[in-house]
Amino acid sequence: MSTLIVTEIQKGAIREASYELVAFAQKIGGDYASLVIGSGVGDLATAFAGKGGGKTYVADDASLADYNVDGYNAAIQAAVAASGATTILVSNTPSGWDVAPRVAAALDAGFISDVFNHQDGNFVRRVFNGKLDAQVSAGGGTTVVTVQPGAIAPFEGSADGSTEALSVDTSGARAKFVETKVAEAKGVDLSKAEIIVSGGRGVGDPEKFPEVIQPLADALGGAMGASRPVVDAGWLPHEYQVGSSGQVVTPKLYVACGISGAIQHLVGMKGSNFIVAINKDADAPIFEVAQLGVVGDLFEIVPALTAAITAAKG
Amino acid sequence: MKILVALKQVPHQDARLDVNGDGTWIKEDGIKFEINSYDTYALEEALRIKDAGEAEVVVISIGPDRVTQALRTALGMGADRAVHVNDDALVGSDSLGIAKTLAAIGKEESPDLVFMGLMSDDGNASAVPPMVAELMGLTSATGVLKAELSDGNVRVERELEGGALEVVDLPTPALLAVQSGLNQVRYASLKGIMAAKKKPIDVKTAADLGVADAVGSGGAKVKIEKVYQPPKGDGAELLEGSTDEIVTGLVNKIKELGLL
Ligand SMILES: Cc1cc2nc3c(=O)[nH]c(=O)nc-3n(C[C@H](O)[C@H](O)[C@H](O)COP(=O)(O)OP(=O)(O)OC[C@H]3O[C@@H](n4cnc5c(N)ncnc54)[C@H](O)[C@@H]3O)c2cc1C
Ligand SMILES: Nc1ncnc2c1ncn2[C@@H]1O[C@H](COP(=O)(O)O)[C@@H](O)[C@H]1O
Repeated sequence: MSTLIVTEIQKGAIREASYELVAFAQKIGGDYASLVIGSGVGDLATAFAGKGGGKTYVADDASLADYNVDGYNAAIQAAVAASGATTILVSNTPSGWDVAPRVAAALDAGFISDVFNHQDGNFVRRVFNGKLDAQVSAGGGTTVVTVQPGAIAPFEGSADGSTEALSVDTSGARAKFVETKVAEAKGVDLSKAEIIVSGGRGVGDPEKFPEVIQPLADALGGAMGASRPVVDAGWLPHEYQVGSSGQVVTPKLYVACGISGAIQHLVGMKGSNFIVAINKDADAPIFEVAQLGVVGDLFEIVPALTAAITAAKG
Repeated sequence: MKILVALKQVPHQDARLDVNGDGTWIKEDGIKFEINSYDTYALEEALRIKDAGEAEVVVISIGPDRVTQALRTALGMGADRAVHVNDDALVGSDSLGIAKTLAAIGKEESPDLVFMGLMSDDGNASAVPPMVAELMGLTSATGVLKAELSDGNVRVERELEGGALEVVDLPTPALLAVQSGLNQVRYASLKGIMAAKKKPIDVKTAADLGVADAVGSGGAKVKIEKVYQPPKGDGAELLEGSTDEIVTGLVNKIKELGLL
C-alpha cells in the first residue's frame, strides 16, 4: 500500500491544500511519495520534500509552466509508474477535478472525488450537494482520490525527504494554455461589508431581492449577497455571489436566507463572525455552520425582522 | 457537425431525500426527477451551435424507464435524436462504468463536440466527463463558461476559484463539461414537445455496447458502503415560537453583537 501526493503550485508556491494531502496520506497510513509539476520548480520540490513530502518526484519542464490537462495527465501517470503507488491523492481544485478523472480512466482505476475524511477504511464524501454523506470503499486495485481543500488540517512539521527528477513526454499534449483572466473588480465589494444579508434559490423570484432581501440589508446598514443559482439565473450580477467561485467574505454578521449550505457556498462565508440561517428545511446543511437558526418561511421572518430593526433604530 | 450531449436524470432539487432500506442510496419511489441542472446548460450550449449553423444534436442518457421523460424533454427543446441505455445490468455502476458506456456510444457516433455537465446533482462526482474524454482519446475541459468554435478549434474559458478564468485552446473533436450559468436555458415549446414525439429514441443495453463486464456492481472498482444524514455537530441554536418571538430573539442577538 503506497500513496502518491500530487501537489499543486499557485502563485509561485506549493498550495496549502498540498500539505493537507500530506496529512491525509498519513491518516490513510503506509508509505507515500509526492509529485511536483511545473517549470523551474526544483527548489520548491526540495523544500516540500523536507516539509513532509517525503520522496518527491519533480516533473520539471517548460511545457508544464502553466496547467495543461494533457501534460499534467502524462506527468501524474509517469509518477504513478515510478512510485508504484496504488492510491493517488489530488486536491479537488479546478485543475485537480479537470485532470484526476482522466488519470483514473487511463489507469483503469477506481475514482472517488471530493472526500473530506477517511474513516473505518472508507473515504467519506458529501452527496446531494451536502444533504447526505456517503462512505465509499476502494477495491483492491489502484484508486485516484480527490480531497476537498480545507477539510483536514495541513501537515506542518518537517521530515527527511529527497527529490528525484521525472522525465515526462508532453509532446502529445493537445490542449494549449492561452491566458488567465483575473476576476474584474466591480462596484460591490462584499469583502469590506460588516453585515451581509444573502438570498439563495429559496428566494424564488428576482423581484423578491429588492422587495425582501435588500430592505433587511438596508435596515441593518449592511450589504446584500447571493448564492450562485441566483447569479446563474441572471437575478443579480456576479459581484453579489458569495462562495468558492465568487467572493470570500468575513462580516461580523451574515444572514443566509433560503440558502441550503452547499460546500461551495460555505467556503465563501463560514469565516463570518456570526451566522444566522433562515431556511424552511430543518435538515439544510447551513444550520451546521450557523450559530443561530430559524426553521421557517423567509417570507414571514425577513419582512417582520426588517420592520423590527427599523423600529428598534427609531 | 455532430454534437453529443450526455445528460443524467436526477432527483428534483426540492425532493425530500430519505435513505433507502439497505442504507446505500436514497428511496427513489414517489419522488420527482428532472434533468441534472448542469446538463440543461450543456444541452442549451449545443442547441445554440445548432441554431447558429448546421448541427445534429444527439442526447444520450443512462438510466431506467423514467429517463425517457428527460430525453423527451431534451428532444422537445430541439435535440434531433436520443440514445437511451436502459439495462438493469448498469445498476450499481461506478463513474468509470458509466464513462465506459458513454465512451462506447461516443466511439460509434464520432462527434465533433461532446457536451456534458460539470457535476451531477445527486452523486456530485465530477468524474464522468474527463473519463469519457480519456477513453475516447479526446481533449477536454471542465468548468466551461464560454466556448468559441472556429475551424478545428474550440477556445474555452474555464472557471477557476474566486471568479478567475483560464483560457484554453482545444483542437476538436473535444469534450466540454460545462459550469452552471454559461447561458440561459430555453424551455421546450408546445410545438417542440409535439415534434419530439416523432423523434427517435434508440434503446441500448450494456451488451449491445460491449461493456457488460465493466458495469454494474460487479464491474465497479469503488463501492458506496453507506449513505446517511451528516452527523449533527454543534449546529445552530434554533429560535422557535411565533414570528414575533423569533424576531425578538433575532433583534436581541443583533443588539448583543453590538450591531444595532
Ligand atoms: C465548482 C463549483 C463552484 C461553485 N461556486 C459556488 C459559489 O461560489 N457560491 C454558491 O453559492 N454556490 C456555488 N456553487 C453551487 C453550489 O454547489 C450550490 O448549488 C449552491 O450553493 C446552492 O445554492 P442555494 O443554497 O441558493 O440553492 P439550493 O441548494 O437549491 O437551496 C435553496 C434552499 O432554500 C430553502 N427554501 C426554499 N424556499 C424557502 C422559503 N420560502 N423560506 C426559507 N427557505 C426556503 C430550501 O429549503 C433550500 O435549502 C458551486 C458549484 C460548483 C460545482
Ligand atoms: N447516467 C448518466 N447518463 C448520461 N450522462 C451522465 C450520466 N452520469 C453522468 N453523466 C454526465 O456526466 C456529468 C457529470 O456527472 P458525474 O461525473 O456523475 O458528477 C453529468 O453532468 C452528465 O453530463
